[in-house]
Amino acid sequence: MAHVMIVDDDEDFASAAATCLRAAGHEVQIELETSAALRSMTQRAPDLVILDVMFPESSSAGFDLARQMRGASAKLTAVPVLMLTAVNQRFPLGFSARDIDDEWLPVHDFLEKPVDIETLRGKVAAMLGAAGARPPGSR
Amino acid sequence: MAATRPDPMARYVLPLAGSGSAPSPPADEGARVHLPESLLVRNVTWFCRLRWLVVSLLAIFGGLDFAPGVLSRVGLRPPGAWPFVAAAALALSNLGFLAHARLMATAATPHRARANLWAQIVADLTVLTLVVHFIGSLETYVAFAYLFHIVLACIFFSRSWSLVVTAVACGLYLACVSAEETGLISRAGIYADAALRGQIDGLPGVRLLNVSWAILTWVVVWYLASHLSALVQERDTHLAETNRRLRAAQRERAQYMLRTTHELKAPFSAIHANVQLLIKGYCGELPPPAQDVLQRVAKRCRRLAAEIQEMLQLANLQSKIQGPLSWGDLDLAEALASCVEQARPVASGRGIEIETDIQPARTTAVGDHMRMLFGNLLSNALTYSMPGGRVRVACAPRPGAGPRVVIEDHGIGIQPEKLPRIFDAYYRTDEAVRHNRESTGLGLAIVRDVVEAHGIQLRVESAPSVGTVFTLEFPPTTAVPGQTRETRETDDGPRDDCGR
Repeated sequence: MAHVMIVDDDEDFASAAATCLRAAGHEVQIELETSAALRSMTQRAPDLVILDVMFPESSSAGFDLARQMRGASAKLTAVPVLMLTAVNQRFPLGFSARDIDDEWLPVHDFLEKPVDIETLRGKVAAMLGAAGARPPGSR
Repeated sequence: MAATRPDPMARYVLPLAGSGSAPSPPADEGARVHLPESLLVRNVTWFCRLRWLVVSLLAIFGGLDFAPGVLSRVGLRPPGAWPFVAAAALALSNLGFLAHARLMATAATPHRARANLWAQIVADLTVLTLVVHFIGSLETYVAFAYLFHIVLACIFFSRSWSLVVTAVACGLYLACVSAEETGLISRAGIYADAALRGQIDGLPGVRLLNVSWAILTWVVVWYLASHLSALVQERDTHLAETNRRLRAAQRERAQYMLRTTHELKAPFSAIHANVQLLIKGYCGELPPPAQDVLQRVAKRCRRLAAEIQEMLQLANLQSKIQGPLSWGDLDLAEALASCVEQARPVASGRGIEIETDIQPARTTAVGDHMRMLFGNLLSNALTYSMPGGRVRVACAPRPGAGPRVVIEDHGIGIQPEKLPRIFDAYYRTDEAVRHNRESTGLGLAIVRDVVEAHGIQLRVESAPSVGTVFTLEFPPTTAVPGQTRETRETDDGPRDDCGR
């Protein structure tokens, strides 16, 4: 059983994802704000973070949190991050999977919303299995 | 008890709409209009390059003194050392101006660039006055060389400052002629025949008229040039302001589009996830009719999310003010193969076989757009194929021309009279709607825009119940029209998405 933190301002989506992951046996914590998420994970580091990109106060708060995690502490640096976005990866105004960069965007993988919950479950299982085997930013 | 207010209270006044970007008033004639510093610095160095040419001409003229008989043959007398002195003075000042310009390259300001230009003009006018004296202030046309600086001053300075330059030129010329007239300096001249100057010397009225004509000409040229320059500068200022606003609007639009995409898709994401919880039994078993309803809700969610995505893609493609595109050398085979692999699960789900004959074929294109193009055409072919049908995908280079890509299906086909409309946004034939109600009608509109942007020739051949063939013929690599390669990149392989 792993401790998974979902950081998403959309409570409906976060609850649905949490239900699915709890059914898979994980302990799931939902945080609706990035600042609260950072405080919480500083006290207790999760095994995996599922992170949305856009939040009401900033359209890049998810990116910022991923970077803050990397600079916060060694234990948070190692936590794999699965980034969710409602913006298509190829959309010219957004970003692409190849933008995953150790410095700029230290996350492990992307999933595009709407997310298939079985895909999410599989991706989480795969990332938890591989956690620690590769550094953030590697694909 | 009176309520106490927290101290200090934060205050914010909502700015009036547009107050941050009020339009600049039109520049009045004579008003000081500044050129951008980058342009000023470029012109500082351009002047310096021109000056080396003048230095060379003066040195060559001085050097002719050492070639016996050359000057006398054309009626000129030996100049002596003055051409070398003038060339040396210009060369030394030029080195100083260039050194200053190099310093400005790192920290250019309009003030520094303008100071450099002023110093150049003053130095030039001083040396030019010496040259005018030695060549002949009244009997030659050399004095009209002052006009170069007057016109340039009109272009680079305000009207009032260009008038100052004109006045300085007039003053120096008058000083030169006056010094000669009063005998303060001895008369000079390049003509070997002293009678040429002698004739004028005997006619004070002619001398006065010559000087007056010269000065009047400069003043008239200043008036015309500075007036026209002020109009051009005013236009430049307006264009620069319009450009700044367009760029600001582009940034704002990009942010708005990003936010809109998120705001429109996010609710569907939540609905989709919760519906899936019900369908997959996370909340207990549901009776089959409820399952059926939920499947339809989920399907509609997926379609709406895809439609929003395609609408935004199309809007972005059609925007003429979007940012620079990433043009690069691209192997179409890789992009096409990637899209085919992406499409295979859908194809196998419908029992459709995808046949491929894909050969490496390089071209210059925007990688993202190519994947969008192939993804939409493949999706179209699969959508309108019959279950158990066959789709053929081919790509090959053409000798002396760009690559050719063919995507062929054996599906429902299109009636001939409807072919011209299939690339219209939201247009769907009745047959297409009957065959598949889920399509957005935007896929081929996206294809049209990508094809137009790349100068690709697209041919469609179709017959009802027989199938449709889309043939893409790319232009030769050097002849992709209508695009500026503002950023070039080497393609680093296909991405994991293909436009759907």
